[in-house]
Amino acid sequence: MLAPKPESNNETVKIMSIHSERPLSPHLMIYKPMLTMMISMMHRITGAILYFGALFLVWWLAAAAAGPEYFSLVHGYLTSWLGLLVLFGFTWALIHHLIGGLKHFLWDTGAGFERPMLEILAIFSALSSPALAVVVWAIAYLVR
Amino acid sequence: MVEFTLPKKSRVKKGKSWPSPEGKRLKEFKIYRWSPDDYKNPQVDTYSVDLDKCGPMVLDAIIKIKNEQDPTLTFRRSCREGICGSCAMNIDGTNTLACTKAIDEIKGAVKIYPLPHMPVVKDLVPDLTHFYAQHRSIEPWLKTETPEPEREWLQSPEDRELLDGLYECVLCACCSTSCPSYWWNGDRYLGPAILQQAYRWLIDSRDEATGERLDNLEDPFRLYRCHTILNCTKACPKDLNPARSIAQVKKMLVERQV
Amino acid sequence: MSLRTPLNDAKNHGSAHSGTMHFWFQRVTGIASVPLTLFLIILGIYLTGQSNEGIMATLKNPFVALGLIATVIVFAWHMKLGMQVIIEDYVHGKWAKYAGLLANIGFSVFIALVGIFSILKISFGA
Repeated sequence: MLAPKPESNNETVKIMSIHSERPLSPHLMIYKPMLTMMISMMHRITGAILYFGALFLVWWLAAAAAGPEYFSLVHGYLTSWLGLLVLFGFTWALIHHLIGGLKHFLWDTGAGFERPMLEILAIFSALSSPALAVVVWAIAYLVR
Repeated sequence: MVEFTLPKKSRVKKGKSWPSPEGKRLKEFKIYRWSPDDYKNPQVDTYSVDLDKCGPMVLDAIIKIKNEQDPTLTFRRSCREGICGSCAMNIDGTNTLACTKAIDEIKGAVKIYPLPHMPVVKDLVPDLTHFYAQHRSIEPWLKTETPEPEREWLQSPEDRELLDGLYECVLCACCSTSCPSYWWNGDRYLGPAILQQAYRWLIDSRDEATGERLDNLEDPFRLYRCHTILNCTKACPKDLNPARSIAQVKKMLVERQV
Repeated sequence: MSLRTPLNDAKNHGSAHSGTMHFWFQRVTGIASVPLTLFLIILGIYLTGQSNEGIMATLKNPFVALGLIATVIVFAWHMKLGMQVIIEDYVHGKWAKYAGLLANIGFSVFIALVGIFSILKISFGA
């Protein structure tokens, strides 16, 4: 066993007594915004959006269960221009979170951590989700 | 709630501009200053350096400032060649070693802050006490039960190769202090540097405490605050990959249980 | 002021010896969410522009109903796990943290219950 000797605590006591007066160094406000960090934040933000977005899905289902009158009211809200805008936002968030999730599965295997790969994955996440959201809506309106 | 802004007494105020020397190739350095003797908020001072009379690295410039303009400017440095890890600081928005960061790479004024979200001892010197204690807590030494062999513990070349990309860490803390998760939960989250060292001992073929080590890491805060934000891997001045090491630890824990 | 040693602070109360199952089920529900998300998107595309009667008829289809029930269960579970991490990350006040963690469970269960009940009612009731 090559354990280091425990150090004396005197210095520690001295350091800790003035610890509380020390300023905290700047962090988020000075750190360079990097694409990989932004995409990670977007994964969390889209997750939170979908968390509350689930209310809309369930509200719509509950309205369908409540009967035709209430359903046409709620369905009317959701297919108004504002409702459609919100639904488009949820579509984008869903696809972004889906792609972020796939990326996490790759990382969970221990792969995909090479530096150039990290940038490629970040750029792919940023561009693919709005593009795919538009594609989904285009298909929906073309086949209806 | 986590504070995303700085506490009142930590907020950075406008500092002073030091007289500029003569020279053709002047570069501005904006450096975070705080001294426990002043009873004042931190501030950012501006210095100018003539690059024609200065070495190529950021460390060369701040040593020159300390020697020629302001002897009170305080920072850690030792080897000046990226092997000791002392001069880790936030330069141009990212954590790196001042001795291996070329001034040329930076456009405009060179902004220098201490490592982020750390208590400041003075100027660019952060208090790394907790970081070192966390390193101590993972017991970064060989643990064995088999009676010690007469000569050294043997390791095959293949097993030795597994330690490449891990043992080179100089514990500069660039990665840990670049990690937002470490900013918000550094009291409990071990952070990338320490988790990478934990992994270094987990996969050491000679170590006989792997299970015990995994037990000690399996914790929602110690390990699982890692959300693969990747600032660590992007910051590492030694081009190591702490994010991958942490992913490997998570994988080992899943494989042990599922 | 604390006179605890730094190592004491770092070791704190020791390891909880847990978290791997949270990580695992986040992945399990995540993997299940991939086909279910595609199902939801295809259903959305299919329902676009249909009359209310047409939509109701589609929702009554047993395969659609089963798919929706699976989606609601898996999403609610995944949501609970994800929001828990967000709360643990940012909410440090003891009361606020436990209130948040409880509210998170309540909200996720609410989503699951209302969703499942509605789908069953559409299928069997009225």
